[in-house]
Amino acid sequence: MHYIFQIIKRNRWIFIGLMVGGLLLYMPTPEGLSIMGMRAIVIMVVSIIFFIAEPLPLPGVALLIAVSEVISGIAGPTETARSFMSDSVFFIMGSLMIAAAIVKQKMDKRIALYLLRLTGSGVGRITFGLVAVSALVSSFIGQHTVAAMMLPVGMTLINMISEDTSKKRNLSALILLSIAYGALIGSNGTPSSGASNAIMLNFWKEMFDVRIGYLKWMAYSFPLILFQVPIFAWILLRTFRPEVSEIPRSVEKLKERIRKEGDMTPNEYWVIGILLFTVFLWVALGDRIGLGITSFIGVSLYLMTGLVRWEDLNNGINWGIILIYASTISLGLNIKDTGAGEWMAKSFLELISPLGIDSGIPLLAAISILTIILASVISSGAVVGLLGPIVLNMAQITDKSILAAGFVTAISSSFAYMAVAASPACNIVYSSGYLKTSDFLRGGWKMIIVSILLLLLIASTYWRIIGI
Amino acid sequence: MKILMCTDGSRFAEDAIRFSGRIARAMGWDISILYVRPRASSEHRIHLTTARKKLNEWNLDIPGVSYLKRAKEILIEIDVAKTLPAGEAESKYTFREGVYGATEIHLVGIHGENVRLRLREGETIDEILEEVRVGDYGLIVTGSRGHKGLARYFTGSTAMSIAKHAPCSVLIAKNIKGHEGFLITTDGSDMSERAAIFIAPIARALDARVTIFSVAEEGTTEDKAMERARRAEMIISQMGLTCDIKVGIGRPAEEIIEEARNHDLVVLSASGSSGVKKFFMGSVPLKVIEYGETPVLIVR
Repeated sequence: MHYIFQIIKRNRWIFIGLMVGGLLLYMPTPEGLSIMGMRAIVIMVVSIIFFIAEPLPLPGVALLIAVSEVISGIAGPTETARSFMSDSVFFIMGSLMIAAAIVKQKMDKRIALYLLRLTGSGVGRITFGLVAVSALVSSFIGQHTVAAMMLPVGMTLINMISEDTSKKRNLSALILLSIAYGALIGSNGTPSSGASNAIMLNFWKEMFDVRIGYLKWMAYSFPLILFQVPIFAWILLRTFRPEVSEIPRSVEKLKERIRKEGDMTPNEYWVIGILLFTVFLWVALGDRIGLGITSFIGVSLYLMTGLVRWEDLNNGINWGIILIYASTISLGLNIKDTGAGEWMAKSFLELISPLGIDSGIPLLAAISILTIILASVISSGAVVGLLGPIVLNMAQITDKSILAAGFVTAISSSFAYMAVAASPACNIVYSSGYLKTSDFLRGGWKMIIVSILLLLLIASTYWRIIGI
Repeated sequence: MKILMCTDGSRFAEDAIRFSGRIARAMGWDISILYVRPRASSEHRIHLTTARKKLNEWNLDIPGVSYLKRAKEILIEIDVAKTLPAGEAESKYTFREGVYGATEIHLVGIHGENVRLRLREGETIDEILEEVRVGDYGLIVTGSRGHKGLARYFTGSTAMSIAKHAPCSVLIAKNIKGHEGFLITTDGSDMSERAAIFIAPIARALDARVTIFSVAEEGTTEDKAMERARRAEMIISQMGLTCDIKVGIGRPAEEIIEEARNHDLVVLSASGSSGVKKFFMGSVPLKVIEYGETPVLIVR
């Protein structure tokens, strides 16, 4: 008896998830929703519960999504397999591989050296520099890579300030959060900066046959980053008032250490060269042969030149998360195909229409807030995968631009500034042991409010001008 | 014997290591110090590994190791670890992964005993209990933040859970004071006798004053309590120590907490009372841990 109780206790979220699913299946299907649509929604609800509570490893949830899609009769086995794999998933894979190739080199030391040469030893300038560099680099190779590369830079600076941790509490939080928030800001800069972008591109293409190129994406997303960088640095400096305003000793020591490593090696030049070449191909060929296939050209070059070994890619990439994204894309498409997306979009609009926010900019604000809430508990890519079809359907019904709605969803999904566990960047800097969870709350809510306001401002002015 | 000291990097844990380190040194026990790092979600584990590799490239300590290094410094400070002329601890191995489920550094103690710094990943309590299972420890030491009542209900207490579930003796070291002697409590059970046998050599090695304490729930049973105390005294004196005897009247947990105020350590045996009684009345040792102000040693 005790043993059975233990099993139930350990797996309680599995039981809760399955029970919620079972109950929903027993309820009468609402009007306007097909039985298949209902089943798709049930799979979505149960997966969200599993994604949040994580009663089994998340890639396992992805497998369960595939299983339930076939068993519930929504899609056949071949269709399901096909919906898991697409150019977007290739693109996510390729981008992660390129990032893994870069992380293997000692680029972090170069970046740190150039950064500190520019900023000098003032804490204000260093904060701004860290946010800007993290944002810029993560725009191309993703937040997790940038956080992993910049964390040692931040920790070295912090370690050399003073032995006494109580004298550098604020300064530590300031430096580490600059890195994390910078990396998060950048994660919508280009399509290759994060999976949520690739997933949104996938939905536009599959649902509406709208194709957005690499440069066009940057034209829409970069202005927000340009605003966010200085404002975030300013807010961070105001929130975590540093104990000292200059840290010349730390900066000098750090520079000295890096200088000992010598000049840039030919390999490092090659790594950057191939990255730039791949970005060029994304811009030039991405529309024609697909961003995913293009990224594979870059990866092949890395492998052919021996700059990265397959083992590095095998060990350095979270293959499980690719499966998770693939499963949410597949589920998202099924939600759209079964008409569940449209039904949920309509229901959501009915729900919020009394508040007067069912169209225009207020609707975008509602979408943004909904996305942020979900993105604070599950990973941003999964949020876009699950919400994407619903949001795009809402935009279609209300005659709002699907591009604007899509961009708002994809960009808001990286506004998880308050949650430690939701984004790789926050998780990595938190693992340093210098931060408390409350530090993320202290700074995060301000970042979220500012980011939403900036996003809406850009949506209502700049995006209109360039024509969305 | 092997002693396991748990650290979470807080000063409470450091105090506990200092306190129990002295006991271990006097007794010549093998020491392991354990830090349990929280397990990351499966989603982030690979990213964190990448970040750790980067930290390694920069010669920075991976998270958690700094706590163990601090523990090592404390051991050097109180002369437990053997030091090289440079003042560094003499270590047999640098960090090795996968030693009985943990990453460890192996140091040499002052009398040649083993001192291990171990790092595990997962749920704190589960990992500590797993460590005890594979490591065959005789005593677990943990600090305590000293949350009481409602605060403890919300934050949960690692020390409490370990005291409840550990298969071996547990020392909860908090509010450590000077040299005021040990208080050995007895309820007349076999377990209390074993507690007396366990603590006597430690008291002798540390040259600590020993007081035997027995509680009568009512005034009429005071004789019996006295008798129990005498029996414990006999055991202690057989091991070549002299001791005082005291008898309190009232509720055991309250009396023990009150009496323990003037002592360095209160020794209790894992409760001899039955499961049903424990359920309704609460266990005396757990109450003393929760509401007492003195380090508690529960002997199993």
